[in-house]
Amino acid sequence: MSAEHELEEEETGTRPGEGGQVLFWLTAVGFVGALAAIFVFVPTEVTEGIVQRIMYFHVPCAWVAFFAFFIVFFCSVLFLWRREREWDIYAHASAEIGMLFCSLVLITGPIWAKPIWGVWWTWDPRLTLTLVLWLIYAAYLMLRLQTAEGSARAKYCAVVGIVGALDIPLIHFSVLWWGSQHPAPKIITSEGLGSGIDTSMGITLLVALGAFTLVYFLLMSLRVNIEKMKDEIDRLKKQRLYSN
Amino acid sequence: MKNLGFLFAANLAIWGGIVFYIFTLMKRNRALRRDLDLIQETVKKESGK
Repeated sequence: MSAEHELEEEETGTRPGEGGQVLFWLTAVGFVGALAAIFVFVPTEVTEGIVQRIMYFHVPCAWVAFFAFFIVFFCSVLFLWRREREWDIYAHASAEIGMLFCSLVLITGPIWAKPIWGVWWTWDPRLTLTLVLWLIYAAYLMLRLQTAEGSARAKYCAVVGIVGALDIPLIHFSVLWWGSQHPAPKIITSEGLGSGIDTSMGITLLVALGAFTLVYFLLMSLRVNIEKMKDEIDRLKKQRLYSN
Repeated sequence: MKNLGFLFAANLAIWGGIVFYIFTLMKRNRALRRDLDLIQETVKKESGK
Protein backbone atom coordinates (compact mmCIF):
# COMPACT_ATOMS: atom_id res chain seq x y z
CA MET A 1 0.00 0.00 0.00
CA SER A 2 1.50 3.32 -1.07
CA ALA A 3 1.88 6.29 1.27
CA GLU A 4 -0.27 8.35 -1.13
CA HIS A 5 -3.05 5.75 -0.93
CA GLU A 6 -2.91 5.67 2.87
CA LEU A 7 -3.11 9.47 2.98
CA GLU A 8 -6.17 9.37 0.71
CA GLU A 9 -7.84 6.86 3.07
CA GLU A 10 -7.05 9.05 6.07
CA GLU A 11 -8.78 11.92 4.31
CA THR A 12 -11.91 9.86 3.50
CA GLY A 13 -11.96 8.62 7.11
CA THR A 14 -11.59 4.94 6.25
CA ARG A 15 -8.18 4.63 7.93
CA PRO A 16 -7.47 6.19 11.31
CA GLY A 17 -4.61 8.66 11.20
CA GLU A 18 -2.11 9.77 13.83
CA GLY A 19 -4.98 11.29 15.81
CA GLY A 20 -6.32 7.77 16.48
CA GLN A 21 -2.97 6.63 17.91
CA VAL A 22 -2.70 9.69 20.12
CA LEU A 23 -6.23 9.03 21.40
CA PHE A 24 -5.38 5.37 22.08
CA TRP A 25 -2.33 6.26 24.17
CA LEU A 26 -4.16 9.06 25.99
CA THR A 27 -6.91 6.59 26.91
CA ALA A 28 -4.38 3.99 28.07
CA VAL A 29 -2.61 6.55 30.29
CA GLY A 30 -5.97 7.82 31.55
CA PHE A 31 -6.98 4.31 32.56
CA VAL A 32 -3.73 3.56 34.35
CA GLY A 33 -4.22 6.82 36.27
CA ALA A 34 -7.85 6.02 37.04
CA LEU A 35 -7.05 2.50 38.29
CA ALA A 36 -4.22 3.83 40.47
CA ALA A 37 -6.58 6.44 41.92
CA ILE A 38 -9.40 3.91 42.52
CA PHE A 39 -7.32 1.12 44.06
CA VAL A 40 -4.37 2.97 45.63
CA PHE A 41 -5.05 6.69 46.14
CA VAL A 42 -8.61 6.89 47.46
CA PRO A 43 -9.25 5.61 51.02
CA THR A 44 -11.93 2.98 51.67
CA GLU A 45 -15.29 4.52 52.54
CA VAL A 46 -16.27 3.96 56.20
CA THR A 47 -19.94 2.90 55.98
CA GLU A 48 -20.06 0.84 52.78
CA GLY A 49 -16.52 -0.51 52.85
CA ILE A 50 -14.61 -1.75 49.82
CA VAL A 51 -17.74 -2.32 47.73
CA GLN A 52 -18.22 1.47 47.52
CA ARG A 53 -15.34 1.51 45.01
CA ILE A 54 -17.87 0.23 42.45
CA MET A 55 -19.04 3.88 42.35
CA TYR A 56 -15.86 4.86 40.44
CA PHE A 57 -16.94 2.54 37.61
CA HIS A 58 -20.72 2.77 37.90
CA VAL A 59 -20.97 6.59 37.81
CA PRO A 60 -18.56 7.05 34.84
CA CYS A 61 -20.48 4.34 32.93
CA ALA A 62 -23.71 6.25 33.56
CA TRP A 63 -22.05 9.51 32.50
CA VAL A 64 -20.75 7.97 29.23
CA ALA A 65 -24.15 6.39 28.51
CA PHE A 66 -25.95 9.72 28.99
CA PHE A 67 -23.29 11.60 27.02
CA ALA A 68 -23.50 9.06 24.18
CA PHE A 69 -27.31 9.31 24.04
CA PHE A 70 -27.06 13.10 24.11
CA ILE A 71 -24.76 12.85 21.05
CA VAL A 72 -27.41 10.62 19.41
CA PHE A 73 -29.98 13.34 20.13
CA PHE A 74 -27.73 16.11 18.79
CA CYS A 75 -26.72 14.22 15.63
CA SER A 76 -30.30 13.08 15.00
CA VAL A 77 -31.55 16.67 15.14
CA LEU A 78 -28.78 17.68 12.73
CA PHE A 79 -29.63 14.77 10.43
CA LEU A 80 -33.34 15.71 10.29
CA TRP A 81 -32.37 19.31 9.60
CA ARG A 82 -29.58 18.84 7.04
CA ARG A 83 -30.20 15.26 5.75
CA GLU A 84 -26.47 14.49 5.64
CA ARG A 85 -25.38 10.84 6.00
CA GLU A 86 -22.48 11.90 8.24
CA TRP A 87 -24.85 12.77 11.12
CA ASP A 88 -26.66 9.44 10.80
CA ILE A 89 -23.31 7.63 11.07
CA TYR A 90 -22.39 9.49 14.27
CA ALA A 91 -25.84 8.94 15.79
CA HIS A 92 -25.71 5.19 15.04
CA ALA A 93 -22.18 4.79 16.42
CA SER A 94 -22.99 6.74 19.56
CA ALA A 95 -26.21 4.78 20.19
CA GLU A 96 -24.30 1.49 20.07
CA ILE A 97 -21.68 2.74 22.53
CA GLY A 98 -24.38 4.27 24.73
CA MET A 99 -26.10 0.89 24.86
CA LEU A 100 -22.88 -0.80 25.95
CA PHE A 101 -22.40 1.63 28.85
CA CYS A 102 -26.09 1.69 29.77
CA SER A 103 -25.94 -2.13 29.98
CA LEU A 104 -22.87 -1.83 32.24
CA VAL A 105 -24.77 0.61 34.47
CA LEU A 106 -27.66 -1.85 34.74
CA ILE A 107 -25.23 -4.67 35.59
CA THR A 108 -22.98 -2.86 38.06
CA GLY A 109 -25.91 -1.12 39.79
CA PRO A 110 -27.47 -4.34 41.11
CA ILE A 111 -24.01 -5.71 42.03
CA TRP A 112 -23.52 -2.61 44.19
CA ALA A 113 -27.13 -2.60 45.47
CA LYS A 114 -27.17 -6.18 46.77
CA PRO A 115 -24.64 -5.74 49.65
CA ILE A 116 -25.86 -2.19 50.47
CA TRP A 117 -29.65 -2.31 50.01
CA GLY A 118 -30.02 -6.06 50.45
CA VAL A 119 -31.79 -6.45 47.09
CA TRP A 120 -30.52 -6.76 43.53
CA TRP A 121 -33.27 -4.58 42.05
CA THR A 122 -36.09 -2.33 43.19
CA TRP A 123 -38.67 -0.51 41.02
CA ASP A 124 -37.32 2.84 42.14
CA PRO A 125 -37.95 5.79 39.71
CA ARG A 126 -34.29 6.23 38.73
CA LEU A 127 -33.67 2.52 38.19
CA THR A 128 -36.91 2.07 36.27
CA LEU A 129 -36.27 5.10 34.04
CA THR A 130 -32.74 3.86 33.31
CA LEU A 131 -34.20 0.52 32.25
CA VAL A 132 -36.70 2.42 30.05
CA LEU A 133 -33.76 4.31 28.47
CA TRP A 134 -32.03 1.00 27.75
CA LEU A 135 -35.22 -0.40 26.18
CA ILE A 136 -35.71 2.69 23.97
CA TYR A 137 -32.20 2.47 22.55
CA ALA A 138 -32.48 -1.31 22.19
CA ALA A 139 -35.53 -0.54 20.02
CA TYR A 140 -33.45 2.06 18.15
CA LEU A 141 -30.76 -0.50 17.30
CA MET A 142 -33.36 -3.15 16.40
CA LEU A 143 -35.05 -0.66 14.07
CA ARG A 144 -31.71 -0.13 12.35
CA LEU A 145 -31.22 -3.86 12.02
CA GLN A 146 -34.72 -4.66 10.74
CA THR A 147 -35.38 -1.75 8.37
CA ALA A 148 -33.93 -1.59 4.86
CA GLU A 149 -30.98 0.78 4.51
CA GLY A 150 -31.82 4.25 3.22
CA SER A 151 -32.95 7.71 4.17
CA ALA A 152 -36.31 6.43 5.56
CA ARG A 153 -34.48 4.24 8.08
CA ALA A 154 -32.23 7.10 9.10
CA LYS A 155 -35.29 9.35 9.53
CA TYR A 156 -37.20 6.86 11.74
CA CYS A 157 -34.09 6.19 13.82
CA ALA A 158 -33.45 9.92 14.26
CA VAL A 159 -36.96 10.35 15.68
CA VAL A 160 -36.49 7.44 18.13
CA GLY A 161 -33.02 8.80 19.02
CA ILE A 162 -34.48 12.20 19.88
CA VAL A 163 -37.43 10.82 21.88
CA GLY A 164 -35.14 8.44 23.82
CA ALA A 165 -32.82 11.22 24.98
CA LEU A 166 -35.74 13.04 26.62
CA ASP A 167 -35.59 10.33 29.30
CA ILE A 168 -32.12 11.51 30.44
CA PRO A 169 -33.21 14.67 32.34
CA LEU A 170 -36.02 12.61 33.90
CA ILE A 171 -33.45 10.09 35.18
CA HIS A 172 -31.25 12.87 36.59
CA PHE A 173 -34.03 14.74 38.37
CA SER A 174 -36.08 11.68 39.41
CA VAL A 175 -34.09 11.43 42.66
CA LEU A 176 -34.96 15.03 43.56
CA TRP A 177 -38.56 15.08 42.27
CA TRP A 178 -39.96 11.75 43.38
CA GLY A 179 -37.61 10.69 46.18
CA SER A 180 -35.56 7.59 45.68
CA GLN A 181 -33.57 4.86 47.36
CA HIS A 182 -30.84 5.76 44.87
CA PRO A 183 -28.35 8.35 46.22
CA ALA A 184 -28.91 11.97 45.14
CA PRO A 185 -26.34 13.71 42.88
CA LYS A 186 -23.03 14.33 44.67
CA ILE A 187 -21.07 16.29 42.06
CA ILE A 188 -23.62 18.77 40.71
CA THR A 189 -25.57 19.83 43.79
CA SER A 190 -27.56 22.93 44.77
CA GLU A 191 -24.77 23.82 47.27
CA GLY A 192 -22.10 23.94 44.57
CA LEU A 193 -19.90 21.76 42.40
CA GLY A 194 -18.57 18.70 44.25
CA SER A 195 -19.86 19.82 47.66
CA GLY A 196 -21.54 16.46 48.36
CA ILE A 197 -18.34 14.40 48.20
CA ASP A 198 -14.97 14.16 49.98
CA THR A 199 -12.06 15.80 48.07
CA SER A 200 -10.04 12.59 47.46
CA MET A 201 -13.20 10.78 46.34
CA GLY A 202 -14.12 13.71 44.10
CA ILE A 203 -10.67 13.75 42.47
CA THR A 204 -10.78 9.97 41.91
CA LEU A 205 -14.24 10.19 40.42
CA LEU A 206 -13.17 13.01 38.09
CA VAL A 207 -10.10 11.03 36.92
CA ALA A 208 -12.35 7.99 36.27
CA LEU A 209 -14.89 10.18 34.44
CA GLY A 210 -12.07 11.55 32.25
CA ALA A 211 -10.72 8.07 31.47
CA PHE A 212 -14.16 6.70 30.57
CA THR A 213 -14.88 9.75 28.40
CA LEU A 214 -11.66 9.05 26.49
CA VAL A 215 -12.82 5.44 26.00
CA TYR A 216 -16.04 6.81 24.52
CA PHE A 217 -14.10 8.88 21.96
CA LEU A 218 -11.80 5.95 21.16
CA LEU A 219 -14.74 3.61 20.59
CA MET A 220 -16.50 6.30 18.54
CA SER A 221 -13.49 6.65 16.24
CA LEU A 222 -13.37 2.87 15.71
CA ARG A 223 -17.15 2.56 15.18
CA VAL A 224 -17.42 5.54 12.83
CA ASN A 225 -14.48 4.17 10.84
CA ILE A 226 -16.43 0.91 10.31
CA GLU A 227 -19.48 2.77 8.93
CA LYS A 228 -17.26 4.87 6.65
CA MET A 229 -15.57 1.76 5.29
CA LYS A 230 -18.99 0.20 4.60
CA ASP A 231 -20.02 3.35 2.70
CA GLU A 232 -16.76 3.35 0.73
CA ILE A 233 -17.23 -0.32 -0.21
CA ASP A 234 -20.81 0.42 -1.38
CA ARG A 235 -19.59 3.41 -3.37
CA LEU A 236 -16.87 1.39 -5.12
CA LYS A 237 -19.29 -1.47 -5.83
CA LYS A 238 -21.73 0.97 -7.47
CA GLN A 239 -18.86 2.58 -9.38
CA ARG A 240 -17.86 -0.85 -10.74
CA LEU A 241 -21.46 -1.70 -11.61
CA TYR A 242 -21.95 1.47 -13.65
CA SER A 243 -18.56 1.30 -15.36
CA ASN A 244 -19.13 -2.30 -16.56
CA MET B 1 -12.31 -7.18 52.92
CA LYS B 2 -16.03 -7.90 53.22
CA ASN B 3 -17.91 -7.90 49.90
CA LEU B 4 -14.72 -8.15 47.84
CA GLY B 5 -16.56 -10.59 45.55
CA PHE B 6 -19.04 -7.88 44.55
CA LEU B 7 -16.24 -5.47 43.63
CA PHE B 8 -14.57 -8.23 41.62
CA ALA B 9 -17.85 -9.07 39.83
CA ALA B 10 -18.46 -5.40 38.93
CA ASN B 11 -14.91 -5.08 37.56
CA LEU B 12 -15.27 -8.29 35.61
CA ALA B 13 -18.49 -7.00 34.01
CA ILE B 14 -16.96 -3.61 33.11
CA TRP B 15 -13.67 -4.88 31.68
CA GLY B 16 -15.29 -7.91 30.08
CA GLY B 17 -17.92 -5.72 28.40
CA ILE B 18 -15.49 -3.10 27.12
CA VAL B 19 -12.84 -5.60 25.95
CA PHE B 20 -15.48 -7.76 24.21
CA TYR B 21 -16.88 -4.73 22.38
CA ILE B 22 -13.40 -3.56 21.30
CA PHE B 23 -12.67 -7.11 20.11
CA THR B 24 -15.86 -7.22 17.97
CA LEU B 25 -15.10 -3.75 16.55
CA MET B 26 -11.58 -4.80 15.60
CA LYS B 27 -12.88 -8.01 14.03
CA ARG B 28 -15.44 -6.06 11.95
CA ASN B 29 -12.76 -3.50 11.10
CA ARG B 30 -10.33 -6.18 9.86
CA ALA B 31 -12.98 -7.90 7.69
CA LEU B 32 -14.09 -4.61 6.11
CA ARG B 33 -10.49 -3.48 5.58
CA ARG B 34 -9.83 -6.72 3.68
CA ASP B 35 -12.95 -6.21 1.51
CA LEU B 36 -12.09 -2.56 0.91
CA ASP B 37 -8.49 -3.30 -0.11
CA LEU B 38 -9.72 -6.04 -2.45
CA ILE B 39 -12.33 -3.89 -4.16
CA GLN B 40 -9.92 -0.94 -4.43
CA GLU B 41 -7.38 -3.22 -6.05
CA THR B 42 -10.01 -4.56 -8.51
CA VAL B 43 -11.25 -1.07 -9.42
CA LYS B 44 -7.65 0.08 -9.98
CA LYS B 45 -6.92 -2.93 -12.24
CA GLU B 46 -10.13 -2.45 -14.21
CA SER B 47 -9.58 1.27 -14.71
CA GLY B 48 -6.01 0.56 -15.92
CA LYS B 49 -7.18 -1.79 -18.70
